Amino acid sequence: MALSRAEVERIAELARLDLTPAEEELFASQLGKIVDYFDQLRGFEDTDTDGVADLDVDSLEADDLPVPCLPREAFLDNAPESIDGFLVVPPVKAKPG
Amino acid sequence: MSQLWQLGAEEIARGVRGGELSAREVFESCLERTRAVEGDLGAYLELLAEQGRERADEIDQRRRAGEDVGPLAGVPVAIKDNISVAGRSLTCGSRILEGYVAAYSATAIERLEAAGAVILGRCNLDEYGMGSSCENSSFQLTHNPWRLDRVPGGSSGGPAAAVATGVPLALGTDTGGSIRQPAAFCGIVGLKPTYGRVSRYGLVAFASSTDQIGPLARNTRDAALALKVIAGADERDSTSARRPVADPLAEIDNGIAGRAVGVATEIDNRSLPAEARASWRQALARLERLGAELREVSIPALDAAIACYYVLCTSEASANLARFDGIRYGRRAAGTGSLGELYRASRSQGFGAEVKRRIMLGTFALSAGYYDAYYGRALAVRQALRRQLETAFETVDLLVTPTAPSGAFAIGERIDDPLSMYLMDIYTVPASLAGLPALSVPCGLDDDGMPLGLQLMARPFDEAAVLAAGRAFEQDLDWKVEPTAVAA
Repeated sequence: MALSRAEVERIAELARLDLTPAEEELFASQLGKIVDYFDQLRGFEDTDTDGVADLDVDSLEADDLPVPCLPREAFLDNAPESIDGFLVVPPVKAKPG
Repeated sequence: MSQLWQLGAEEIARGVRGGELSAREVFESCLERTRAVEGDLGAYLELLAEQGRERADEIDQRRRAGEDVGPLAGVPVAIKDNISVAGRSLTCGSRILEGYVAAYSATAIERLEAAGAVILGRCNLDEYGMGSSCENSSFQLTHNPWRLDRVPGGSSGGPAAAVATGVPLALGTDTGGSIRQPAAFCGIVGLKPTYGRVSRYGLVAFASSTDQIGPLARNTRDAALALKVIAGADERDSTSARRPVADPLAEIDNGIAGRAVGVATEIDNRSLPAEARASWRQALARLERLGAELREVSIPALDAAIACYYVLCTSEASANLARFDGIRYGRRAAGTGSLGELYRASRSQGFGAEVKRRIMLGTFALSAGYYDAYYGRALAVRQALRRQLETAFETVDLLVTPTAPSGAFAIGERIDDPLSMYLMDIYTVPASLAGLPALSVPCGLDDDGMPLGLQLMARPFDEAAVLAAGRAFEQDLDWKVEPTAVAA
Protein backbone atom coordinates (compact mmCIF):
# COMPACT_ATOMS: atom_id res chain seq x y z
CA MET A 1 0.00 0.00 0.00
CA ALA A 2 1.44 3.35 -0.96
CA LEU A 3 0.51 6.24 1.31
CA SER A 4 -1.62 8.84 -0.44
CA ARG A 5 -0.06 12.16 -1.39
CA ALA A 6 -2.50 13.83 1.01
CA GLU A 7 -1.30 11.56 3.81
CA VAL A 8 2.34 12.38 3.06
CA GLU A 9 1.53 16.11 3.03
CA ARG A 10 -0.23 15.80 6.39
CA ILE A 11 2.75 14.01 7.97
CA ALA A 12 5.21 16.52 6.48
CA GLU A 13 3.18 19.36 7.96
CA LEU A 14 3.29 17.74 11.41
CA ALA A 15 7.04 17.09 11.01
CA ARG A 16 7.69 20.68 9.88
CA LEU A 17 9.20 19.63 6.58
CA ASP A 18 8.59 21.13 3.13
CA LEU A 19 8.81 18.34 0.57
CA THR A 20 9.35 18.84 -3.14
CA PRO A 21 6.80 17.13 -5.44
CA ALA A 22 9.50 14.56 -6.30
CA GLU A 23 10.14 13.85 -2.60
CA GLU A 24 6.40 13.53 -1.96
CA GLU A 25 6.08 10.95 -4.69
CA LEU A 26 9.15 9.01 -3.57
CA PHE A 27 8.17 9.04 0.10
CA ALA A 28 4.58 8.02 -0.68
CA SER A 29 5.81 4.74 -2.18
CA GLN A 30 8.79 4.13 0.14
CA LEU A 31 6.97 4.96 3.37
CA GLY A 32 3.95 2.95 2.23
CA LYS A 33 6.14 -0.12 1.78
CA ILE A 34 7.72 0.35 5.20
CA VAL A 35 4.36 0.90 6.92
CA ASP A 36 3.12 -2.31 5.29
CA TYR A 37 6.07 -4.05 6.91
CA PHE A 38 5.23 -2.43 10.25
CA ASP A 39 1.73 -3.90 9.95
CA GLN A 40 3.08 -7.27 11.09
CA LEU A 41 2.98 -5.73 14.58
CA ARG A 42 -0.81 -5.79 14.35
CA GLY A 43 -0.68 -9.58 14.39
CA PHE A 44 1.12 -9.53 17.69
CA GLU A 45 -1.20 -10.37 20.56
CA ASP A 46 0.18 -10.65 24.06
CA THR A 47 -2.20 -9.71 26.81
CA ASP A 48 0.60 -10.05 29.32
CA THR A 49 2.35 -6.87 28.22
CA ASP A 50 1.41 -3.28 28.75
CA GLY A 51 4.38 -1.63 27.07
CA VAL A 52 5.23 0.18 30.28
CA ALA A 53 8.49 0.02 32.21
CA ASP A 54 10.31 -1.85 29.51
CA LEU A 55 13.76 -0.79 30.68
CA ASP A 56 14.57 -1.13 34.36
CA VAL A 57 17.86 0.67 34.42
CA ASP A 58 19.18 1.26 37.90
CA SER A 59 19.20 4.97 37.27
CA LEU A 60 20.72 7.87 39.06
CA GLU A 61 18.65 10.43 40.84
CA ALA A 62 20.02 13.91 41.10
CA ASP A 63 19.16 16.49 43.70
CA ASP A 64 17.12 19.31 42.20
CA LEU A 65 19.66 22.06 42.75
CA PRO A 66 20.66 25.01 40.60
CA VAL A 67 24.07 24.50 39.02
CA PRO A 68 26.02 26.69 36.60
CA CYS A 69 24.92 26.25 33.00
CA LEU A 70 26.61 27.01 29.70
CA PRO A 71 27.73 30.69 29.66
CA ARG A 72 25.51 32.86 27.47
CA GLU A 73 28.45 33.79 25.20
CA ALA A 74 29.34 30.14 24.60
CA PHE A 75 25.72 29.42 23.71
CA LEU A 76 25.41 32.42 21.39
CA ASP A 77 28.66 31.52 19.58
CA ASN A 78 26.62 28.84 17.83
CA ALA A 79 23.53 30.97 17.21
CA PRO A 80 22.71 31.71 13.57
CA GLU A 81 21.85 35.34 14.49
CA SER A 82 22.02 37.33 17.74
CA ILE A 83 21.97 40.94 18.91
CA ASP A 84 23.05 42.24 22.34
CA GLY A 85 23.02 38.79 23.90
CA PHE A 86 19.64 37.78 22.47
CA LEU A 87 18.69 35.34 19.73
CA VAL A 88 17.12 36.96 16.69
CA VAL A 89 14.07 35.17 15.27
CA PRO A 90 11.45 36.14 12.68
CA PRO A 91 8.01 37.26 13.87
CA VAL A 92 5.84 34.42 15.11
CA LYS A 93 2.96 35.85 13.06
CA ALA A 94 3.42 37.82 9.87
CA LYS A 95 2.81 41.56 10.24
CA PRO A 96 -0.73 42.55 9.21
CA GLY A 97 -0.65 43.94 5.70
CA MET B 1 59.01 -5.53 13.27
CA SER B 2 55.61 -3.92 13.55
CA GLN B 3 55.22 -0.29 12.74
CA LEU B 4 53.85 1.83 15.55
CA TRP B 5 50.42 2.28 13.90
CA GLN B 6 50.01 -1.50 13.92
CA LEU B 7 50.28 -1.74 17.71
CA GLY B 8 47.20 -2.34 19.82
CA ALA B 9 45.94 0.10 22.47
CA GLU B 10 47.17 -2.03 25.35
CA GLU B 11 50.69 -2.33 23.89
CA ILE B 12 50.87 1.40 23.20
CA ALA B 13 49.73 2.36 26.68
CA ARG B 14 52.15 -0.10 28.29
CA GLY B 15 55.02 1.24 26.18
CA VAL B 16 54.22 4.90 26.80
CA ARG B 17 53.73 4.39 30.53
CA GLY B 18 57.02 2.50 30.73
CA GLY B 19 58.91 5.06 28.67
CA GLU B 20 59.77 2.59 25.86
CA LEU B 21 57.47 4.42 23.44
CA SER B 22 56.82 8.10 22.94
CA ALA B 23 53.19 9.19 22.60
CA ARG B 24 54.30 11.69 19.96
CA GLU B 25 56.00 9.03 17.82
CA VAL B 26 52.95 6.77 18.05
CA PHE B 27 50.68 9.66 17.10
CA GLU B 28 52.86 10.63 14.10
CA SER B 29 52.90 7.03 12.88
CA CYS B 30 49.10 6.71 13.08
CA LEU B 31 48.65 10.11 11.46
CA GLU B 32 51.01 9.32 8.59
CA ARG B 33 49.39 5.94 8.02
CA THR B 34 45.91 7.48 8.15
CA ARG B 35 46.88 10.15 5.61
CA ALA B 36 48.32 7.49 3.30
CA VAL B 37 45.03 5.53 3.15
CA GLU B 38 42.50 8.30 3.70
CA GLY B 39 42.29 9.25 0.01
CA ASP B 40 40.95 5.75 -0.71
CA LEU B 41 38.78 5.38 2.39
CA GLY B 42 37.19 8.71 3.33
CA ALA B 43 36.90 7.61 6.96
CA TYR B 44 37.48 11.05 8.50
CA LEU B 45 35.64 14.35 8.38
CA GLU B 46 38.58 16.08 10.08
CA LEU B 47 42.05 15.08 11.28
CA LEU B 48 43.09 16.84 14.48
CA ALA B 49 46.84 16.84 13.82
CA GLU B 50 47.93 19.91 15.79
CA GLN B 51 45.69 19.30 18.78
CA GLY B 52 46.85 15.67 18.84
CA ARG B 53 50.53 16.57 18.68
CA GLU B 54 50.17 18.94 21.62
CA ARG B 55 48.30 16.30 23.61
CA ALA B 56 50.88 13.63 22.82
CA ASP B 57 53.78 15.91 23.79
CA GLU B 58 52.03 16.78 27.04
CA ILE B 59 51.65 13.09 27.88
CA ASP B 60 55.33 12.44 27.16
CA GLN B 61 56.33 15.39 29.36
CA ARG B 62 54.11 14.27 32.22
CA ARG B 63 55.50 10.75 31.94
CA ARG B 64 59.05 12.07 32.13
CA ALA B 65 58.04 14.06 35.21
CA GLY B 66 57.02 10.79 36.86
CA GLU B 67 53.25 11.25 36.67
CA ASP B 68 50.79 8.42 36.10
CA VAL B 69 49.69 9.11 32.53
CA GLY B 70 46.70 6.76 32.56
CA PRO B 71 45.56 3.37 31.25
CA LEU B 72 45.24 4.67 27.67
CA ALA B 73 48.43 6.75 27.73
CA GLY B 74 49.30 7.92 24.23
CA VAL B 75 46.66 5.77 22.50
CA PRO B 76 45.37 7.51 19.34
CA VAL B 77 41.59 7.35 19.11
CA ALA B 78 39.12 8.14 16.32
CA ILE B 79 35.78 9.65 17.34
CA LYS B 80 32.46 9.26 15.56
CA ASP B 81 31.20 12.72 14.73
CA ASN B 82 28.04 12.58 16.81
CA ILE B 83 30.03 12.68 20.08
CA SER B 84 30.93 16.15 21.36
CA VAL B 85 34.60 17.17 21.65
CA ALA B 86 34.83 20.64 23.23
CA GLY B 87 36.00 23.34 20.83
CA ARG B 88 35.71 21.14 17.73
CA SER B 89 33.11 21.00 14.97
CA LEU B 90 30.32 18.49 15.46
CA THR B 91 28.26 17.69 12.37
CA CYS B 92 26.52 14.33 12.91
CA GLY B 93 27.15 13.95 9.18
CA SER B 94 24.43 16.54 8.58
CA ARG B 95 24.34 19.83 6.69
CA ILE B 96 22.02 21.20 9.34
CA LEU B 97 24.89 21.24 11.86
CA GLU B 98 27.50 22.73 9.55
CA GLY B 99 29.39 25.39 11.47
CA TYR B 100 28.35 24.08 14.90
CA VAL B 101 31.20 23.91 17.42
CA ALA B 102 30.76 21.76 20.53
CA ALA B 103 30.78 23.92 23.65
CA TYR B 104 31.54 20.97 25.94
CA SER B 105 32.90 17.42 25.73
CA ALA B 106 30.91 14.23 26.14
CA THR B 107 31.56 12.41 29.41
CA ALA B 108 33.05 9.49 27.45
CA ILE B 109 35.50 11.92 25.78
CA GLU B 110 36.47 13.48 29.11
CA ARG B 111 37.14 10.01 30.52
CA LEU B 112 39.17 8.95 27.48
CA GLU B 113 41.30 12.07 27.67
CA ALA B 114 41.76 11.76 31.42
CA ALA B 115 43.02 8.21 30.75
CA GLY B 116 45.68 9.59 28.39
CA ALA B 117 44.09 8.91 24.99
CA VAL B 118 44.90 11.26 22.09
CA ILE B 119 42.11 12.12 19.65
CA LEU B 120 43.26 11.74 16.04
CA GLY B 121 40.14 12.88 14.24
CA ARG B 122 36.39 13.10 13.77
CA CYS B 123 34.95 10.25 11.72
CA ASN B 124 32.26 9.93 9.09
CA LEU B 125 28.84 8.40 9.83
CA ASP B 126 25.37 8.04 8.44
CA GLU B 127 23.57 11.31 9.17
CA TYR B 128 22.59 11.29 12.88
CA GLY B 129 23.49 7.59 13.00
CA MET B 130 20.64 6.68 10.67
CA GLY B 131 21.88 4.03 8.26
CA SER B 132 23.75 0.78 7.84
CA SER B 133 26.24 1.76 5.13
CA CYS B 134 27.63 5.26 5.77
CA GLU B 135 26.02 6.26 2.45
CA ASN B 136 23.67 8.60 4.32
CA SER B 137 26.46 10.99 5.31
CA SER B 138 25.80 14.42 3.82
CA PHE B 139 29.52 14.93 3.23
CA GLN B 140 31.25 11.88 1.76
CA LEU B 141 31.24 8.16 1.14
CA THR B 142 33.43 5.91 3.25
CA HIS B 143 34.87 2.86 1.52
CA ASN B 144 35.49 -0.57 3.00
CA PRO B 145 39.24 -1.17 3.44
CA TRP B 146 38.83 -4.80 2.38
CA ARG B 147 37.27 -3.83 -0.97
CA LEU B 148 36.83 -0.23 -1.95
CA ASP B 149 33.60 -0.78 -3.91
CA ARG B 150 31.91 -2.08 -0.74
CA VAL B 151 30.33 -0.14 2.11
CA PRO B 152 32.11 -0.07 5.50
CA GLY B 153 28.78 -0.62 7.26
CA GLY B 154 27.05 1.92 9.41
CA SER B 155 26.37 4.05 11.01
CA SER B 156 29.86 3.97 12.62
CA GLY B 157 31.43 3.24 9.21
CA GLY B 158 34.13 5.91 9.52
CA PRO B 159 35.36 4.71 12.93
CA ALA B 160 35.33 1.07 11.74
CA ALA B 161 37.38 1.82 8.59
CA ALA B 162 39.76 3.93 10.71
CA VAL B 163 40.40 1.14 13.23
CA ALA B 164 40.85 -1.47 10.48
CA THR B 165 43.65 0.64 8.99
CA GLY B 166 45.32 3.37 11.05
CA VAL B 167 44.32 3.71 14.73
CA PRO B 168 43.97 1.04 17.41
CA LEU B 169 40.75 2.37 18.91
CA ALA B 170 37.63 4.38 18.15
CA LEU B 171 34.47 5.46 19.93
CA GLY B 172 31.30 4.74 18.02
CA THR B 173 27.63 4.78 18.90
CA ASP B 174 25.10 1.99 18.55
CA THR B 175 21.34 2.50 18.44
CA GLY B 176 20.31 -0.65 16.53
CA GLY B 177 23.67 -2.14 15.51
CA SER B 178 25.76 0.85 14.48
CA ILE B 179 28.92 -0.32 16.26
CA ARG B 180 28.54 -4.07 15.73
CA GLN B 181 27.61 -4.20 12.03
CA PRO B 182 30.43 -1.92 10.74
CA ALA B 183 32.87 -3.78 13.03
CA ALA B 184 31.77 -7.03 11.35
CA PHE B 185 31.99 -5.50 7.85
CA CYS B 186 35.52 -4.16 8.48
CA GLY B 187 36.90 -7.26 10.24
CA ILE B 188 37.32 -5.74 13.70
CA VAL B 189 35.76 -5.96 17.18
CA GLY B 190 32.82 -3.77 18.22
CA LEU B 191 31.12 -3.65 21.62
CA LYS B 192 27.70 -2.21 22.39
CA PRO B 193 27.64 -1.94 26.16
CA THR B 194 24.52 -2.52 28.26
CA TYR B 195 22.08 0.40 28.07
CA GLY B 196 23.10 2.68 30.94
CA ARG B 197 26.66 1.39 31.18
CA VAL B 198 28.20 4.41 29.43
CA SER B 199 26.97 7.96 29.90
CA ARG B 200 25.21 9.45 26.87
CA TYR B 201 25.99 13.01 27.96
CA GLY B 202 27.40 14.82 24.94
CA LEU B 203 26.13 12.26 22.44
CA VAL B 204 23.64 13.79 20.01
CA ALA B 205 20.45 11.80 20.57
CA PHE B 206 18.88 9.71 17.83
CA ALA B 207 16.75 7.17 19.78
CA SER B 208 17.34 7.86 23.45
CA SER B 209 16.02 4.53 24.75
CA THR B 210 18.65 2.49 22.86
CA ASP B 211 21.55 4.89 22.05
CA GLN B 212 24.85 3.75 23.59
CA ILE B 213 28.48 4.80 23.14
CA GLY B 214 30.99 1.96 22.82
CA PRO B 215 34.45 0.99 21.57
CA LEU B 216 35.66 -0.36 18.23
CA ALA B 217 39.06 -2.05 18.39
CA ARG B 218 41.23 -4.65 16.66
CA ASN B 219 40.88 -7.16 19.48
CA THR B 220 38.71 -7.82 22.52
CA ARG B 221 41.39 -6.87 25.07
CA ASP B 222 41.56 -3.35 23.66
CA ALA B 223 37.76 -3.11 23.63
CA ALA B 224 37.70 -4.20 27.29
CA LEU B 225 40.37 -1.66 28.20
CA ALA B 226 38.39 1.14 26.56
CA LEU B 227 35.11 0.04 28.14
CA LYS B 228 36.64 0.16 31.59
CA VAL B 229 37.72 3.75 30.99
CA ILE B 230 34.44 5.12 29.61
CA ALA B 231 31.92 3.13 31.71
CA GLY B 232 30.28 4.18 34.94
CA ALA B 233 27.68 6.44 36.50
CA ASP B 234 27.47 10.08 35.46
CA GLU B 235 25.19 12.54 37.19
CA ARG B 236 24.74 14.38 33.88
CA ASP B 237 22.95 11.35 32.38
CA SER B 238 20.13 10.14 34.61
CA THR B 239 19.90 6.87 32.66
CA SER B 240 23.52 5.98 33.37
CA ALA B 241 23.58 3.07 35.79
CA ARG B 242 24.79 3.45 39.33
CA ARG B 243 26.52 0.08 39.24
CA PRO B 244 30.13 -0.68 40.02
CA VAL B 245 32.25 -1.29 36.92
CA ALA B 246 34.27 -4.46 37.30
CA ASP B 247 37.51 -4.74 35.34
CA PRO B 248 36.53 -6.72 32.23
CA LEU B 249 40.22 -7.46 31.61
CA ALA B 250 40.40 -9.39 34.88
CA GLU B 251 38.04 -12.05 33.51
CA ILE B 252 38.92 -11.90 29.83
CA ASP B 253 41.01 -15.06 29.77
CA ASN B 254 38.30 -17.14 31.42
CA GLY B 255 37.43 -18.74 28.08
CA ILE B 256 34.11 -20.24 27.12
CA ALA B 257 34.54 -23.84 28.29
CA GLY B 258 31.49 -25.00 30.20
CA ARG B 259 29.43 -21.91 29.34
CA ALA B 260 25.91 -22.54 28.05
CA VAL B 261 25.48 -20.72 24.75
CA GLY B 262 21.98 -20.28 23.34
CA VAL B 263 21.19 -20.43 19.64
CA ALA B 264 17.75 -19.14 18.68
CA THR B 265 15.83 -21.64 16.58
CA GLU B 266 14.33 -18.69 14.72
CA ILE B 267 17.68 -17.90 13.08
CA ASP B 268 18.45 -20.85 10.85
CA ASN B 269 14.79 -21.43 10.12
CA ARG B 270 13.78 -18.09 8.77
CA SER B 271 16.25 -15.30 8.60
CA LEU B 272 19.68 -16.52 7.54
CA PRO B 273 20.30 -16.53 3.77
CA ALA B 274 21.58 -19.85 2.42
CA GLU B 275 25.02 -18.49 1.46
CA ALA B 276 25.72 -17.33 5.03
CA ARG B 277 24.79 -20.62 6.69
CA ALA B 278 28.10 -22.41 6.15
CA SER B 279 30.23 -19.85 7.99
CA TRP B 280 27.59 -19.60 10.72
CA ARG B 281 27.71 -23.36 11.30
CA GLN B 282 31.52 -23.28 11.31
CA ALA B 283 31.42 -20.59 13.98
CA LEU B 284 29.07 -22.71 16.11
CA ALA B 285 31.37 -25.71 15.65
CA ARG B 286 34.31 -23.60 16.79
CA LEU B 287 32.43 -22.53 19.94
CA GLU B 288 31.70 -26.18 20.69
CA ARG B 289 35.31 -27.14 20.16
CA LEU B 290 36.27 -24.45 22.65
CA GLY B 291 34.09 -26.18 25.20
CA ALA B 292 30.85 -24.20 24.94
CA GLU B 293 27.66 -26.13 25.44
CA LEU B 294 25.25 -25.13 22.67
CA ARG B 295 21.55 -25.09 23.51
CA GLU B 296 18.55 -24.29 21.36
CA VAL B 297 16.32 -21.56 22.69
CA SER B 298 13.15 -20.10 21.19
CA ILE B 299 12.57 -16.37 21.04
CA PRO B 300 9.43 -15.95 18.90
CA ALA B 301 9.40 -12.13 19.19
CA LEU B 302 12.65 -12.03 17.17
CA ASP B 303 10.46 -12.19 14.06
CA ALA B 304 8.86 -8.86 14.92
CA ALA B 305 12.08 -7.19 16.14
CA ILE B 306 12.82 -5.16 13.02
CA ALA B 307 9.31 -3.72 12.78
CA CYS B 308 9.32 -3.02 16.52
CA TYR B 309 12.73 -1.34 16.41
CA TYR B 310 12.00 0.85 13.40
CA VAL B 311 8.69 2.07 14.83
CA LEU B 312 10.34 2.98 18.14
CA CYS B 313 13.57 4.47 16.82
CA THR B 314 11.83 6.62 14.22
CA SER B 315 9.29 7.80 16.80
CA GLU B 316 12.06 8.81 19.18
CA ALA B 317 14.01 10.39 16.33
CA SER B 318 11.05 12.49 15.26
CA ALA B 319 10.92 13.96 18.77
CA ASN B 320 14.68 14.26 19.30
CA LEU B 321 15.32 15.97 15.97
CA ALA B 322 12.57 18.56 16.50
CA ARG B 323 15.24 20.71 18.18
CA PHE B 324 17.06 21.26 14.88
CA ASP B 325 14.98 24.14 13.64
CA GLY B 326 17.43 26.88 12.66
CA ILE B 327 16.80 28.95 15.79
CA ARG B 328 19.48 28.30 18.38
CA TYR B 329 22.29 26.58 16.47
CA GLY B 330 23.16 25.08 13.13
CA ARG B 331 21.99 26.10 9.72
CA ARG B 332 19.31 28.75 9.28
CA ALA B 333 17.55 29.08 5.93
CA ALA B 334 17.71 32.56 4.42
CA GLY B 335 14.86 34.72 3.15
CA THR B 336 11.96 33.30 5.15
CA GLY B 337 9.06 35.41 6.41
CA SER B 338 7.50 33.81 9.46
CA LEU B 339 8.86 31.60 12.23
CA GLY B 340 7.03 28.56 10.84
CA GLU B 341 8.53 29.10 7.40
CA LEU B 342 11.98 29.39 8.97
CA TYR B 343 11.58 26.06 10.78
CA ARG B 344 10.39 24.25 7.69
CA ALA B 345 12.92 25.76 5.29
CA SER B 346 15.89 25.21 7.65
CA ARG B 347 14.93 21.59 8.29
CA SER B 348 14.10 20.80 4.68
CA GLN B 349 17.38 22.24 3.41
CA GLY B 350 19.45 20.84 6.26
CA PHE B 351 18.32 17.21 6.60
CA GLY B 352 19.14 14.47 4.10
CA ALA B 353 16.68 11.99 2.60
CA GLU B 354 17.00 9.19 5.18
CA VAL B 355 16.64 11.56 8.12
CA LYS B 356 13.51 13.04 6.53
CA ARG B 357 12.15 9.53 5.93
CA ARG B 358 12.67 8.55 9.55
CA ILE B 359 11.23 11.77 10.93
CA MET B 360 8.19 11.20 8.69
CA LEU B 361 7.82 7.56 9.79
CA GLY B 362 8.08 8.48 13.46
CA THR B 363 5.66 11.37 13.09
CA PHE B 364 3.23 8.98 11.41
CA ALA B 365 3.61 6.29 14.11
CA LEU B 366 2.94 8.85 16.86
CA SER B 367 0.08 10.66 15.12
CA ALA B 368 -3.59 10.57 16.12
CA GLY B 369 -5.28 7.43 14.85
CA TYR B 370 -2.05 5.45 14.45
CA TYR B 371 -0.38 5.72 17.86
CA ASP B 372 -1.96 2.58 19.38
CA ALA B 373 -1.54 0.47 16.26
CA TYR B 374 2.14 1.27 15.78
CA TYR B 375 3.92 2.95 18.70
CA GLY B 376 1.83 1.32 21.42
CA ARG B 377 2.04 -2.10 19.80
CA ALA B 378 5.79 -1.75 19.30
CA LEU B 379 6.26 -1.03 23.01
CA ALA B 380 4.36 -4.22 23.82
CA VAL B 381 6.48 -6.27 21.39
CA ARG B 382 9.60 -4.80 22.95
CA GLN B 383 8.44 -5.88 26.39
CA ALA B 384 7.63 -9.39 25.14
CA LEU B 385 11.02 -9.67 23.44
CA ARG B 386 12.74 -8.54 26.60
CA ARG B 387 10.90 -11.12 28.70
CA GLN B 388 11.66 -13.90 26.21
CA LEU B 389 15.34 -12.97 26.33
CA GLU B 390 15.25 -12.91 30.15
CA THR B 391 13.71 -16.39 30.12
CA ALA B 392 16.40 -17.61 27.71
CA PHE B 393 19.10 -16.25 30.03
CA GLU B 394 17.73 -18.41 32.84
CA THR B 395 19.16 -21.43 31.03
CA VAL B 396 22.08 -19.98 29.03
CA ASP B 397 24.99 -17.64 29.81
CA LEU B 398 25.30 -16.22 26.32
CA LEU B 399 23.28 -15.96 23.13
CA VAL B 400 25.02 -16.17 19.78
CA THR B 401 23.92 -14.97 16.33
CA PRO B 402 25.61 -13.79 13.16
CA THR B 403 26.19 -10.03 13.40
CA ALA B 404 24.63 -9.44 9.98
CA PRO B 405 23.03 -11.70 7.35
CA SER B 406 25.95 -11.12 4.94
CA GLY B 407 29.32 -9.46 4.54
CA ALA B 408 29.62 -5.89 3.28
CA PHE B 409 27.45 -5.18 0.24
CA ALA B 410 28.30 -2.97 -2.72
CA ILE B 411 28.11 0.82 -2.49
CA GLY B 412 24.82 1.83 -4.12
CA GLU B 413 23.28 -1.65 -3.92
CA ARG B 414 20.63 -0.89 -1.31
CA ILE B 415 20.47 2.87 -1.01
CA ASP B 416 17.28 3.16 -3.11
CA ASP B 417 15.45 0.51 -1.09
CA PRO B 418 15.32 1.65 2.55
CA LEU B 419 13.39 -1.41 3.74
CA SER B 420 16.05 -3.80 2.43
CA MET B 421 18.65 -1.74 4.32
CA TYR B 422 16.57 -1.95 7.52
CA LEU B 423 16.30 -5.73 7.21
CA MET B 424 20.11 -5.97 7.47
CA ASP B 425 19.72 -5.11 11.18
CA ILE B 426 17.78 -8.28 12.03
CA TYR B 427 20.40 -9.69 14.41
CA THR B 428 21.55 -6.49 16.08
CA VAL B 429 18.27 -4.81 17.05
CA PRO B 430 17.17 -7.39 19.68
CA ALA B 431 20.06 -6.52 22.05
CA SER B 432 19.30 -2.83 21.48
CA LEU B 433 15.62 -3.24 22.29
CA ALA B 434 16.42 -5.28 25.41
CA GLY B 435 19.35 -3.10 26.48
CA LEU B 436 21.76 -6.08 26.56
CA PRO B 437 25.53 -5.98 26.07
CA ALA B 438 26.53 -7.34 22.65
CA LEU B 439 29.89 -7.89 21.00
CA SER B 440 30.79 -8.51 17.38
CA VAL B 441 34.01 -10.46 16.76
CA PRO B 442 35.42 -11.43 13.35
CA CYS B 443 34.58 -15.01 12.35
CA GLY B 444 36.09 -15.42 8.87
CA LEU B 445 35.57 -14.28 5.29
CA ASP B 446 32.67 -14.75 2.88
CA ASP B 447 33.03 -16.01 -0.70
CA ASP B 448 33.90 -12.49 -1.85
CA GLY B 449 36.71 -12.15 0.69
CA MET B 450 34.72 -9.82 2.95
CA PRO B 451 34.87 -10.23 6.74
CA LEU B 452 31.94 -11.69 8.68
CA GLY B 453 31.08 -11.11 12.32
CA LEU B 454 29.78 -13.28 15.12
CA GLN B 455 27.60 -11.60 17.72
CA LEU B 456 27.61 -12.58 21.40
CA MET B 457 25.00 -11.26 23.84
CA ALA B 458 24.82 -11.62 27.61
CA ARG B 459 22.74 -10.58 30.61
CA PRO B 460 22.60 -6.86 31.41
CA PHE B 461 25.93 -5.50 32.69
CA ASP B 462 27.78 -8.75 31.98
CA GLU B 463 30.10 -7.26 29.35
CA ALA B 464 32.83 -9.45 30.88
CA ALA B 465 31.02 -12.59 29.64
CA VAL B 466 30.84 -11.49 25.99
CA LEU B 467 34.41 -10.22 26.06
CA ALA B 468 35.79 -13.47 27.53
CA ALA B 469 33.87 -15.55 24.97
CA GLY B 470 34.96 -13.24 22.16
CA ARG B 471 38.56 -13.47 23.35
CA ALA B 472 38.53 -17.27 23.23
CA PHE B 473 36.97 -17.18 19.78
CA GLU B 474 39.37 -14.63 18.25
CA GLN B 475 42.43 -16.42 19.65
CA ASP B 476 41.32 -19.76 18.26
CA LEU B 477 40.57 -18.20 14.87
CA ASP B 478 43.95 -16.39 14.98
CA TRP B 479 42.32 -13.45 13.20
CA LYS B 480 44.54 -10.75 11.68
CA VAL B 481 43.17 -7.31 10.84
CA GLU B 482 44.88 -7.04 7.46
CA PRO B 483 42.47 -5.40 5.03
CA THR B 484 43.18 -6.39 1.46
CA ALA B 485 42.40 -3.12 -0.36
CA VAL B 486 45.01 -0.97 1.39
CA ALA B 487 48.78 -1.56 1.28
CA ALA B 488 50.29 -2.67 4.60
